[in-house]
Amino acid sequence: MALYEGIALIQEKQAVVLDLGSEYTKFGFTGEAAPRCIVRSEFWSPGLRGYKRVFDYKDDEELYDNLVHMLHLLYFRHVLVNPKERRVVVVESLLTPTRFRETLAKVLFTHYEVSGVAWADSGRLCALTLGAPAALVLEVGAREAEVCAVIHGCVVLRSLQAAPRGALRVRTELARLLAEDGAPALTDHVLEDIMVKTCLVTTRERAQQWASDSPPTPAKSVRYPLAGAGRGRGGPGGAVTVEGRARELSAEPLFAEDGEYCSLQDLLLQCIMQSPIDCRRALAENILVCGGGAALPGLRSRLREELAHALTEPPYCDRLHLTSLKFHSAPAHANSVAWLGGAAAGGGGAGAGRRGPAGGDARAGGRDAWLRARRLKDWVCLLDNTPPDHPAREHHLI
Amino acid sequence: MIPQVDSHYCANCLENMPSSEARLKKNRCSSCFDCPSCFHTLSTRATLAQPRPAPEAGGGDAKVENKQPKKMYYLSCFNCRWTSRDVGIPDQPVASGGWPERSAPHAARVSQLLEHYRAVAQQEKQDKLERERKKFAIRGKYITLTDKTGLTGAVARSIAGLGDAGAGAALAGFAPAVPKEDVEGLPEDAFTKEVNLKQITSMPQRLASPEWQPVSVSRLHPLAKLLSVKRSQRCRACDHNLTKPEYNPGSIKFKIELLAYYHVPEVKIISCEMIKPGAKSTLLLKLANPTGHEMALQLLPAAPPPPPPHGETEAATEDKDDSIEKSLDKSLKLDKEPRWPHVEPPAILTRVTPPAVTLTLAPRDDAAEYDDDARHEPSHIILWRKSNKLALRLELTTDPAAVEGSPARTALTVEYSYRNTVPQSITASQNRDHTLYTTVYLDLGTVGSAGL
Ligand SMILES: [Zn+2]
Ligand SMILES: [Zn+2]
Ligand SMILES: [Zn+2]
Repeated sequence: MALYEGIALIQEKQAVVLDLGSEYTKFGFTGEAAPRCIVRSEFWSPGLRGYKRVFDYKDDEELYDNLVHMLHLLYFRHVLVNPKERRVVVVESLLTPTRFRETLAKVLFTHYEVSGVAWADSGRLCALTLGAPAALVLEVGAREAEVCAVIHGCVVLRSLQAAPRGALRVRTELARLLAEDGAPALTDHVLEDIMVKTCLVTTRERAQQWASDSPPTPAKSVRYPLAGAGRGRGGPGGAVTVEGRARELSAEPLFAEDGEYCSLQDLLLQCIMQSPIDCRRALAENILVCGGGAALPGLRSRLREELAHALTEPPYCDRLHLTSLKFHSAPAHANSVAWLGGAAAGGGGAGAGRRGPAGGDARAGGRDAWLRARRLKDWVCLLDNTPPDHPAREHHLI
Repeated sequence: MIPQVDSHYCANCLENMPSSEARLKKNRCSSCFDCPSCFHTLSTRATLAQPRPAPEAGGGDAKVENKQPKKMYYLSCFNCRWTSRDVGIPDQPVASGGWPERSAPHAARVSQLLEHYRAVAQQEKQDKLERERKKFAIRGKYITLTDKTGLTGAVARSIAGLGDAGAGAALAGFAPAVPKEDVEGLPEDAFTKEVNLKQITSMPQRLASPEWQPVSVSRLHPLAKLLSVKRSQRCRACDHNLTKPEYNPGSIKFKIELLAYYHVPEVKIISCEMIKPGAKSTLLLKLANPTGHEMALQLLPAAPPPPPPHGETEAATEDKDDSIEKSLDKSLKLDKEPRWPHVEPPAILTRVTPPAVTLTLAPRDDAAEYDDDARHEPSHIILWRKSNKLALRLELTTDPAAVEGSPARTALTVEYSYRNTVPQSITASQNRDHTLYTTVYLDLGTVGSAGL
């Protein structure tokens, strides 16, 4: 603790690390163990007379305004530093829409006049918190679950997997199950609170019993009182009864197989299968589960069960011969693992996490460079991922 | 305008904190705390602790001390009745400060990681220098391989367990995280235990302390109060301070306050007839002079302002103060290429027929606020006059091509005289009066149908 606080003082200006999630935003300084704040990605909008979510936007201009407001909130309400002439480490998904990245860059460089932005993908940053040479990172976010194999600080892009199996999926399922039991329509915030307080990921054995004709004794039901009980249509006594069935089965969509290999276990195994053959074993023995959605109790043990079972069945049983599965635990809470990676990469003199996924040097993009090019380097863009000795470069096609 | 952090202060105890100290304390007040349960401010409460009879009570001094009950303090929330005793924090003998601090759960490991990556970065630098030196030496197969995979020499060596090439002690001593076969499952009684909602924290309660994120209510600790900041604002173009608050946290006054609001005439719409394509309508405007000087005003059709082009073509919220320094700052401004993105003027289909008269506005007079007899003027343009305000009647002509339902907008340029009151220099005396231009865009609702 004392050690890196001292270093923070020596450094002229500590960089900030921004992880802008679709539900929660993590923001803090490099070289620290946890973000300074984890807040909802929303801001008070006087025009709407309510909170506006950053990710509710129709066009780039609206997104620009949203980001300006959100960053203002973060800089001046939570972290209390001047954004000007300070570096930013942006933690992003490899699948972040180009539009979003470009607009964020525009906001940071022109509105807040930051001196540099380092763009780092969350998979690599998560692996950075372990220090292990190979890691299979499963991030269960709010909207999406993403799996990427990180080997020696490089993402195996070919095997990147993603599916809309995040915490919001659990919330939707919970709402459906509650409605089946006759509960009134609930707001998202109440649903999230019910999910956080009561839901758990049941075991594989019980999940199968639930699916069969003889369901097990359900977990104890919970009476969840609703705020403002008197005026609401909140059922008898202004409370919702969360049945054991809803508590146990809300997270089932994460593991449900739909033939498209989109369940969490399928994402992981598909990723291993598409990775180079000589690192598959290492990946299976270095699984890291993180992201806010992974905080559900029992999720990791269930995932382990599902993985072990899936390995005995086609298509994996004859193609993957993995004998052991090992799991890491990162030195941070599940929701801030990627953030911590950013803080470590930025704090460690932008060291190990600097190499871009395309092999190029994606070091902290300076403001001047951005002003000249008005675009960001991106791994999907041919301008950036064509090797320097490719014939197309010679003919100035690119 | 760029907002800037000016000074840190605690909103509860109104105490200023120098920014270096604030940085050390992670922007938190050392004596104020928030309730971890409902986020209200905690108050310190005193109790009288009964002195325990000391077994070795022998000396006379000790006896005197023992007779007096000792004052002990604890924190409590008036809103939700949470107290620091609930979570087993011992009472403190002093009223402020001295509350036990917890160290973050992963701090040790994180500092190890940081040290490691710093060492890696250093090694990388060294390697680079070395490679420069050995430029002409034959590159080993190993190096080219690692270059392709984006793996640097230092990392490769540390992974391969080769602590050679002068790798620092930090590199060698770092142990990567060890994965485990088994993962923590659900507690045994997960399916049989009653859930007590009062014992489980909500998301906001967890996220209020990102380091700990307690799941159980019994692990909630008081939250040190987050400081607030006073902000000063600077002009984006010329870096001048526009507003600067006073240092004293209790004061809401400003040391510097140069906003367009105090310098640019105010234009307000009183009423407007329905805009119809190809028709004429009447617009009533109110103009007010916020300055302490008489102001001459003239309305012109919206056009690029005549030279010198110092007038800003922005809405009336812009700062006009900097026109004198413009020439000085011109070079500076060119460097600052990241200009605030220029707002495209909206398409204007409705035109104003400006009256060709110069209007004079009286200086602002706070006392005049109280007499309310508006003087009617015989002129057909000016409706009434009242101290520093006047109301105008203008005629609008709308283009027949205007589409029904589209937003009706009009623009007009206001030319006004302005006396600079900020003391400049001795030579600036001839420079005190200026004629400035501002283009005002008026949003007049939507275009109505022509038939109406
Ligand atoms: Zn205070
Ligand atoms: Zn409270
Ligand atoms: Zn200026």
